[in-house]
Amino acid sequence: MEILENRDAWTTNFRAGWLATAEATGKLDWKRYQRPANAQPVSGKAVDLRASRLVLISSAGAYLPASQEPFDAPNPYGDYTIRLIPVCTPISAIAYAHDHYDHAAVDADPDVLVPVRRLDEMVSAGEIGALADDFISFGGYQPDLGQVIDVTIPAIVREVKVLGADAALLVPA
Amino acid sequence: MLGIATTLTSWNADRTIPIKPPRATYTKLGRGSTIGRPNDIAQQRRVLEATLALLGRDAPLDPVFLDEKV
Repeated sequence: MEILENRDAWTTNFRAGWLATAEATGKLDWKRYQRPANAQPVSGKAVDLRASRLVLISSAGAYLPASQEPFDAPNPYGDYTIRLIPVCTPISAIAYAHDHYDHAAVDADPDVLVPVRRLDEMVSAGEIGALADDFISFGGYQPDLGQVIDVTIPAIVREVKVLGADAALLVPA
Repeated sequence: MLGIATTLTSWNADRTIPIKPPRATYTKLGRGSTIGRPNDIAQQRRVLEATLALLGRDAPLDPVFLDEKV
């Protein structure tokens, strides 16, 4: 199954439309941006959450300013890298590099985008088997789906394997 | 992904449903508050429990709409 079924056509449209306009004029013309779509839904087997190791994947741009570079949030072409953040990290040690949402809510309560405390409560209640040691973070402003497929997703997959997760919760910002 | 089970929750059904994810809940919470209102633990738990419950079912599932908003 392809992540994006019509990738070649999407790429042609992206390069000739949104990207060409951005490079020629410096303007981001979202009317020329083709939103991704698939015809076939993704299939998969159920899991018993109470016996699973769950990994949280967030696109809120979370990073650790004491030890990690922030995401390149101002970059109009996006940042396709990821960060790993231990789930035991004090929430005050996490910052958010993402220019495409209002940070008021996440600054008031990080669980609105990085629900580690809520998930930890569910582990304590026996509703989730365990949380992966790290959560995976990236900045969700990523207009080039080719780079998402070739760079971001493989990096996430590698880390999910290392973390030994059975299931993933995706939280777009 | 990897053959592991995934689920997600989104405030933006118009953009997410066309991608056809295997399991997803949809709210009207809005950008920057995907899981719920700040410090509204009950709402955050509702969204998470509903979204994670989908992992217990074979995918693909029809979209699940939650009556949650800011």
